[in-house]
Amino acid sequence: MNDVNVSLGGLAGYRSGPTAGPEIDEAVFTIEDLSFWYGGFRALRDITMRIPARTITALIGPSGCGKSTFLRTLNRMNDLIPGVSLSGTVRYHDLDLYGDEVDPVEVRHRIGMVFQKPNPFPKTVYENVAYGPRIHRMASGKGELDDIVEQSLRRAALWDEVFDKLDQSALALSGGQQQRLCIARAIAVGPDVILMDEPASALDPIATLRIEELMYELKETYTIVIVTHNMQQAARVSELTAFFTVDVTEDSQRTGVLVEYDETGRIFTRPSQQRTEDYVSGRFG
Amino acid sequence: MTDTGSGHDIRHHFDELLAEIRQGAVAMGSLVLENTRRLTDALLENDLDRARKVVAADDEVDALYISLEQGVFEVIARQQPVASDLRFLVAITRLLYEIERSGDLVVNAAKGLLMRDGYEIPQAIHGTMARTSALVADLFGKSIDVLADLDGSAAQWLDRLDDEIDDLVGELYTMIGRSSDDLGFDVGMELSRVTRYLERIADHAVNIGEHVAFIVTGSFPGHSSATTDEG
Amino acid sequence: MSKIAATPQVESAVRRRIAQPPARASERLFQLALMAGIAIALIFLVTLLIQVAVRGIPGLSLSFLTDLPSSDPGKAGVGPALVGTLWMLAGVTLVAFPLGVATAVYLEEYARDTRLTRLIRTNIQNLAGVPSIVYGLLGLAFFVRFLGAFTGGRSIIAGALTLSLLVLPVIVIASVEALRAVPNSMRDASYGLGATRWETTRRQVLPAALPGIFTGVILSLSRAIGETAPLITIGALTFVNFFPASPTDSFTVLPIQAFNWISQPQAEFHDISASAIVVLLVLLLSMNTIAILLRRRFEKRW
Repeated sequence: MNDVNVSLGGLAGYRSGPTAGPEIDEAVFTIEDLSFWYGGFRALRDITMRIPARTITALIGPSGCGKSTFLRTLNRMNDLIPGVSLSGTVRYHDLDLYGDEVDPVEVRHRIGMVFQKPNPFPKTVYENVAYGPRIHRMASGKGELDDIVEQSLRRAALWDEVFDKLDQSALALSGGQQQRLCIARAIAVGPDVILMDEPASALDPIATLRIEELMYELKETYTIVIVTHNMQQAARVSELTAFFTVDVTEDSQRTGVLVEYDETGRIFTRPSQQRTEDYVSGRFG
Repeated sequence: MTDTGSGHDIRHHFDELLAEIRQGAVAMGSLVLENTRRLTDALLENDLDRARKVVAADDEVDALYISLEQGVFEVIARQQPVASDLRFLVAITRLLYEIERSGDLVVNAAKGLLMRDGYEIPQAIHGTMARTSALVADLFGKSIDVLADLDGSAAQWLDRLDDEIDDLVGELYTMIGRSSDDLGFDVGMELSRVTRYLERIADHAVNIGEHVAFIVTGSFPGHSSATTDEG
Repeated sequence: MSKIAATPQVESAVRRRIAQPPARASERLFQLALMAGIAIALIFLVTLLIQVAVRGIPGLSLSFLTDLPSSDPGKAGVGPALVGTLWMLAGVTLVAFPLGVATAVYLEEYARDTRLTRLIRTNIQNLAGVPSIVYGLLGLAFFVRFLGAFTGGRSIIAGALTLSLLVLPVIVIASVEALRAVPNSMRDASYGLGATRWETTRRQVLPAALPGIFTGVILSLSRAIGETAPLITIGALTFVNFFPASPTDSFTVLPIQAFNWISQPQAEFHDISASAIVVLLVLLLSMNTIAILLRRRFEKRW
């Protein structure tokens, strides 16, 4: 079996052959030689990888390795920071994301994002989920909007807990519930991809595990890319893992580079790079 | 879509993986059980075709063994199991070994038949051999059931069934010794080996019961002082 | 190990208040000094208010509020002055509030960090400190003389526009602070959903900043209501015996009317001057209360 869906359900079958990175059929993102600068500071160097559809891909690595920066290039959120520039290409399906005719606002409609600290709007639960569909005019009447809100909350495994609290403040929910609300909010606009930037790092362990279970369900429909500094989470939840680290050049420039990108099982049982081994075994921070 | 509002099923994915592993081990055991019975028929009826089938069927067992081992290894690496989950995964690797060895022993017996182009088991021994192999297959089958049910209390009665087999094995050795002139040296040796294989398979079956007891209770049966606790 | 009979702790456990350590002398001294400071400020304020109230309240009546001023203190009223003040308030709200908020939104949400914008930001701070008479002179030259054809010269419009310029920096500063206080995570969330900058500003940022913006409006209106010098400069009248009927009419305001009366020699005029001040203070108080209530309403929900 060559594609990412492995035999025996969740278990990876024994693979022989060279470790040239995972083989991917349907790539949602194709990144080639991506380098990224904040002003004069090079945050990423020559990143090349392909991210497949309807899988969970984890980006791990020490602080400052550029994994969040990389994630944000996938939906052009870095555009909001003045003075950034990049080289190389980021393709979303066949589209060059940074092409001249591409509208970043529309990009973010198709590629959604969930952030580290749950950030619901200071509005009702309903209004939070309805915000996206409203601005994209996705519903022609209140009934349709109600349906979208309900479906999104169900998909985020939150409906049962809030169906009778839709008009209460979102800020009254617990941290884990707020984060699932943010996921529901992102789902409501009907994206293709959900990017998650350390979505569980502000949550307690039980809430974290519930988010992970939710991700297993979500990946049936959405492509998920998650940045996490919690290696065990990447090990549990993802099918592919990309390990980034900081390269220090002779003139003390610190730049993020991609060291290894492979099936998660492989990364955590027999990585092909020593640096990967050192990082996942906790011998190097 | 599941509406997972309740909090008790938050490692659903992990539970599924563990269930898959257990089912895989049971499936592997069933294959070996089937092959054991196939071998018995081949031996008792001196059927070379069946013997060849026995050898061929073991490929599937080996393939399953390798992929299950790999799977267990990966689950341990990725899921950070503790407590009963960890005991299960560690014990399963030993269990898989017991099953795989049993499978290999069956193949050895079949190959022995094939290499000699078949041999007849004399009337005097036939009945006892039939009975012994039936009991061994039965015991092995029961051990796989114990695995499927995770029955922690089975180790003891599995051991008692083994005692009966050990008695029969003793009888067989005596009979083979007595018939050595009729059998010829080579076949006599081969039958001794086959008897030994049968005894070993029964031992593996008992071990399976002990590993299951460890999974369930955390202690090694028969070694009451050696538990997973300190002191 | 010695065997000590265990004393039954549970039932007879005595609950003791945790004693506060005795305060040091320096701490007490500092505390007293702070309280003295507040007391002094309050004493002055309260004395002033009481004086004004004692002198002014007797003169209050409905007719006082609606009558025209006259040379007879018994018949004089603050009618036109009150109306003029209300016109000023309305004008300032209509002009300075949207202009100020729009400026703040531009500076905080849209403008890039260039030399020009940094220059603008610094100077808005400076403008807030410019003496009000300077605004009066500016208003005289620009609104009264240069745009005389449109404003009608020394008119309500000219006055309202001048006062708007005066309070604009205050509103901009308060609004900028209110916008800055809105966490970026909210903007990120909105952009992440594919919203444009305007949608984000209009639907999320501005509503969240509203309490802070209202504070700025309260502050600026409170300042505007009491301004005398710039209005005199642009030519508000000191003696008005008619009610202004249109924005291009001349006018007066309460502080000016009070000033006019206190300049008269008769003591009765001083009394009604105090009454006018009471009216002004009541107006100020009710404005502030309304604004605070409005602000609470937007704040309390979340």
